[in-house]
Amino acid sequence: MASTLKKIILKSCDGKILEVEEAVAVQSQMIKNMIEDDCANEEIPLPDITGEILSMIIEYCKMHVDGENNSNNELIARDADFITRVDLNTLYYLIVAANFLNVKSLLDLTCQRVADIIKGKSPEEIRLTFNIKNDFTPEEEEEIRKKNAWAFDYKD
Amino acid sequence: MKEGIGNISKRGVESKIWRSRTRCHVAPDRAPTKSESIDQSPWANLPPELLLDIIQRVEESETAWPARAVVVACAAVCRSWREITKEIVKTPEQCGRLTFPISLKQPGPRESPIQCYIRRDRATSTYLLFYGLMPSEGESDKLLLAARKVRRATCTDFTISMVADDFSRASYAHVGKLRSNFFGTKFTIYDSQPPCDSIIPSTTLSSRRFYSKQVSQKLSSSNYSIGTCSYELNVLRTRGPRRMHCVLHSIPVSAIQEGGTAPTPLAFSRSFDEQLSSLTSLKGKEPATNTSSPFLPATPIVSLGSGEPLALKNKAPRWHEQLQCWCLNFKGRVTVASVKNFQLVAAVGPSHNISPEEQEKVILQFGKIGKDIFTMDYRYPLSAFQAFSICLSSFDTKPACE
Repeated sequence: MASTLKKIILKSCDGKILEVEEAVAVQSQMIKNMIEDDCANEEIPLPDITGEILSMIIEYCKMHVDGENNSNNELIARDADFITRVDLNTLYYLIVAANFLNVKSLLDLTCQRVADIIKGKSPEEIRLTFNIKNDFTPEEEEEIRKKNAWAFDYKD
Repeated sequence: MKEGIGNISKRGVESKIWRSRTRCHVAPDRAPTKSESIDQSPWANLPPELLLDIIQRVEESETAWPARAVVVACAAVCRSWREITKEIVKTPEQCGRLTFPISLKQPGPRESPIQCYIRRDRATSTYLLFYGLMPSEGESDKLLLAARKVRRATCTDFTISMVADDFSRASYAHVGKLRSNFFGTKFTIYDSQPPCDSIIPSTTLSSRRFYSKQVSQKLSSSNYSIGTCSYELNVLRTRGPRRMHCVLHSIPVSAIQEGGTAPTPLAFSRSFDEQLSSLTSLKGKEPATNTSSPFLPATPIVSLGSGEPLALKNKAPRWHEQLQCWCLNFKGRVTVASVKNFQLVAAVGPSHNISPEEQEKVILQFGKIGKDIFTMDYRYPLSAFQAFSICLSSFDTKPACE
């Protein structure tokens, strides 16, 4: 039980220092590996993760550790509440950070959120939503548009 | 042992941190700021493995049409999205689902057939193929293919398109046609696109040159004969079940042998995707001789060289004494007696080495379920386009056969 009281010190790329209980920190497979390898005694610098994103991830991990005894439905509801509060830009940095830290459940949650945002959208709507540049040549785009007409064709 | 593994991973982690540290000190803060987020979105830089994870989730959850259109949309966002989406989407044979238009020309699933229905419109002479068991109530179904019948002086043509409002042969939507002979007893299926090298593993050098890109672009579309469908002439004019015989020149009989594969085009010809797929196409196995053509000399016939083409025949119905009619077990998919109803199975001999179960498998089933409504269930190795073409032949009146 003693180990659960141990604090792990995380440092964001913008210099923010966060002290996290080990039980929360090990939600990250990467940090868990470091602890097992005895590399987590000093502060752990996290490049590319800002303090803001890191706080959100810790909030999420805490929620999961505290909610361990809760029912599955309750956790799903909390996850949904957590993710719907996240704007699109933050969502991107959350995904990349969850991937780096290897927080499996958060990576699942964030990727699923993006998939849900994509659903029902046209190519142009997807580009606008995520601000992605269309790099097809006009000829290629015309060809794709004509062939794609099939996918959007419905008759009674 | 444990110690050893620990040491290795420790070193790995340490070096990672060291690198991270240096990067962290040198690199400017990359945190998103409000002003930055408006004109420059980070999403364009999403690592491919994460984009793959996301599009995979979209593909897996949106299995039914019309929702599935979003998978096609994902492939039209930009080049990297297209590449990743194309990598994720499997062929109908592998996943049992239709996604991109090209899946209409790919073989169906090996086990459970793809179930579709055809709606006939007598006024406009059009035949529409929809995805689904039967017309759904109050909802529109996914249109797969459309055909329009045109009677000519010496034959009947069915022009086949991917859309219901454009039957022009110059259209992008044009996929092929079915043409009858004068008597309406023999039909030829024409594919608008030449077979890609990957689907015809053994063609001669000369025929390969013949199908090369420059030549095929000059040929008008609908010029590749990929199969025939014949109805046995009923000279005695006695009423009874029709006899059908189909030969698919583009599918080798080996496709239904154990471990066999059927030709699977990965992209439409003359499309830029073709360049991509030709890189992954299979190399020709061995040169073989071209079979002589019994058809119009101007029409290239897809030949399999040494491979014998797949032949199909209709399952013989049995005479039901009590009902006084010919019967076939359509497993509930056909409800109205009609001369047009049929079930096709492979027509093979003992030399083809095909298991009895495989020989019994219904590859294509077609039948009436209501006024101007017919079901069409097809399976590997036929594609939706080939199956639809064969079914269309059943619609054309064949006075000589009935």
